[in-house]
Amino acid sequence: MVGLSYAAVPLYRLYCQATGLGGTTGAERSAERIERMEPVRDRLIRVTFNADTHASIQWNFKPQQSEIYVVPGETALAFYKAKNPTDKPIIGISTYNVVPFEAGQYFNKIQCFCFEEQRLNPQEEVDMPVFFYIDPEFAEDPKMAKVDLITLSYTFFEAKEGQKLPLPGYQ
Amino acid sequence: MSTAMNFSSKSFAPRPPDKGAFPLDHFGECSAFKERFMECLRRSGYESAACRQSAMAYLECRMDRQLMANEPLEKLGFKDLINEKSEEKPEKS
Repeated sequence: MVGLSYAAVPLYRLYCQATGLGGTTGAERSAERIERMEPVRDRLIRVTFNADTHASIQWNFKPQQSEIYVVPGETALAFYKAKNPTDKPIIGISTYNVVPFEAGQYFNKIQCFCFEEQRLNPQEEVDMPVFFYIDPEFAEDPKMAKVDLITLSYTFFEAKEGQKLPLPGYQ
Repeated sequence: MSTAMNFSSKSFAPRPPDKGAFPLDHFGECSAFKERFMECLRRSGYESAACRQSAMAYLECRMDRQLMANEPLEKLGFKDLINEKSEEKPEKS
């Protein structure tokens, strides 16, 4: 399970290249979409937050809220928090997972802290925001009709010197 | 819609965030805004819609301090809040 999440970073890159997602055109399209979308007020969804760290990383990492209630079509902000309790800087990199699996396609992160190395100095603690929305089309998908709980999980790994992690080239 | 994943029978393919990663707020420059937002969440029973003003203020804080690329707030889903604001002062983009 952990291995799969870890492998998700290079696998994402293959997926990205195959589907052409993640380029600037994608970002522009989505900015327009965000500007035009309307909240679907009758579909309240509970989003819960998990935080995991791989055994190799000594960060304390946790969500700052266990849940938030959102509706599709409205942007939402949530926070995680990470602390490096050691006396050495540590660089972490995270990936994420959404359950139920089928809801993941509707879960859009506008900005967060994943897929890029994040460095915490000794004893440093930082807020890590996630800015996201659930696509309004979620409300029109009959398969999602009974889904009112979505769980977002982030896992941090340590990015070690000399380790080549293929990062999605979305910047 | 059944998604055919070539590399695994049923796995989740994470997508990158649209605008990339937030730079870390190493100096806690926007912590106060975050605290106001979290307080709002706690007061409102964790209802996101009730705290959008605070969320917008947090993101504006980041933009003001180069901790987030400048973006018109309408493109971040705050157009209704902006329309209220623009009645008071000229819109800055």
